[in-house]
Amino acid sequence: MLSEEYLVQQAVNGNQAAFTQLYNQNFDRIHRYIYIKVRDRAEAEDLTQDVFIRALESIGTYKWRDLPFAAWLFKIAHNRVIDHVRKQSKEKRAPLEEAYTKSVEDPIQMTERDYEVYQLKVALEQLPEAQRDVATLRFIAQLSIAEVARTLGKSEGTVKALQFNATASLRKVLRGKLDG
Amino acid sequence: MARKLDDIFNECYERIRSGESLESCLRSYPQYRAQLEPLLRTTFDIGRRVSYIHPRPEFKHWARVRIESAQRYPRQQTRTETPAASTWLRHGWAVAVSVGIVLILTTGTTMAASSQALPTEPLYPVKLATEQVRLAFAVSDENKAQVQTELVQERAKEVEAMANAGETDEAAKAVDRYNDQFEKAMAAILKAEGTEPPPVIIPPAETLPPETATPPAVVTPPVVTTASENTTPAETTTPATTETQPPVTEEQPTTTEEQPSVTEEQPATTEEQPSVTEEQPSVTEEQPSVTEEQPAVTTAQDKGQTSQTDKLRNALDKSNYKSLQALREAKEKASHNTKSDWQKAIDRMKESQKKSPTTTDTTSQSDNKTTSSPATPSPTKQLPSRWHR
Repeated sequence: MLSEEYLVQQAVNGNQAAFTQLYNQNFDRIHRYIYIKVRDRAEAEDLTQDVFIRALESIGTYKWRDLPFAAWLFKIAHNRVIDHVRKQSKEKRAPLEEAYTKSVEDPIQMTERDYEVYQLKVALEQLPEAQRDVATLRFIAQLSIAEVARTLGKSEGTVKALQFNATASLRKVLRGKLDG
Repeated sequence: MARKLDDIFNECYERIRSGESLESCLRSYPQYRAQLEPLLRTTFDIGRRVSYIHPRPEFKHWARVRIESAQRYPRQQTRTETPAASTWLRHGWAVAVSVGIVLILTTGTTMAASSQALPTEPLYPVKLATEQVRLAFAVSDENKAQVQTELVQERAKEVEAMANAGETDEAAKAVDRYNDQFEKAMAAILKAEGTEPPPVIIPPAETLPPETATPPAVVTPPVVTTASENTTPAETTTPATTETQPPVTEEQPTTTEEQPSVTEEQPATTEEQPSVTEEQPSVTEEQPSVTEEQPAVTTAQDKGQTSQTDKLRNALDKSNYKSLQALREAKEKASHNTKSDWQKAIDRMKESQKKSPTTTDTTSQSDNKTTSSPATPSPTKQLPSRWHR
């Protein structure tokens, strides 16, 4: 298997197959990351697609030494989500429950799994922003501590502390939900 | 202690992710077992819930088609154009090289054959190259608008052909190419009319400025001495690039307001507006004579120009109509699994037309019900010349 760095270099040089491979490697986790951060499936799909289009358009300017590729990609995703949420907050924003219910075609068919994902979304929303960012990148996107640190521009020590606190907070919220 | 505990927690989390058991990890730190175990179990719980999140297969498929299409046909970086003469001079060498290559690589027969080539055929790249040469030879704004419009018609034929063949992926790519070409043609028409929208520079979507490519160093964060949330250092979670990225949706200039909708208010001037149907007999059966909808031209000096560009706009109308119709029919014929893909193609085409500086509403028909009856819109409804002058 080709190393990621080699693939990235090829993609930077315009190799379409290399970019496609990087796309395949990262698509699901970028989608997961965005899905958990936005209100519904349609928004997540639009933003996911947009992230990769933007990455494709600016891959020529990417430099490995400045930022690991995954961190670079998630930075694009992170910025897109922030832009999106800002834009939404200027408009009238539907409450989470309503927006979420709308995204489900038939509420009767809402499965237990959907509900558990929903609970996780709610739990993450209750965290302070810094904890939420770390928890999402670490547990949802599965980035390494170093990648999270580079993505968010924080030290690794800070990221570890935020991760610890976020986990404790999530435990309380999720356990409360489950118990309740 | 808290500092150490978050380090240990992270170490255990990593070890478990790489296959080690929870128990084995806890045995390494028996003194922290009580604190670590519930937190690590929480990460399991989160991981389980996250594992339920998957992109819909059709979305994944569609997104990949789009990326492949974007790779093959990258977007224009700018829509500003320099004056025709200077463009010609500046790119004269490139044109000469293009012509030379095309002539060397292709015989007349090949070029003629390529003019009908479809995207799935080997001669298709020759067709695209030949089109670029045609564009390069179009010097005046009117000629450019004419050629760009003809290329829209070509792209429409390709959409139709791919839709008729039930080629979902290729139809999607054809829609992308169609939308790109439609934008170029509209810009060329507006320029020929002298109502060119203000130049719009499409910004690089995610150009990371130097300061963000190397994220701002966090100046020694406050020492985290407890597990409290308040130990978070100053927020730097919004990288500087955020401000430099205007949303993509704002890239399209909106000049609809500048083009008054006067179609219904003014009488038709059939004598002055040659019927487009005469030039394109293939579509006369499904579409009404567009000349009936042509509004009056208000000033004599504008007549020639208006007539010419209105013909081009009508041609674009028809291309929109035919392409959408072909996609709708393909959707009706498609299997249940691929209906949503066809719907996406229809939506994208409609979305693109809406974003266009001046757009005819060929998209009014509802396409959102996959079980709807075959699309047979009223031609008069399909071809309102909302933006005809």
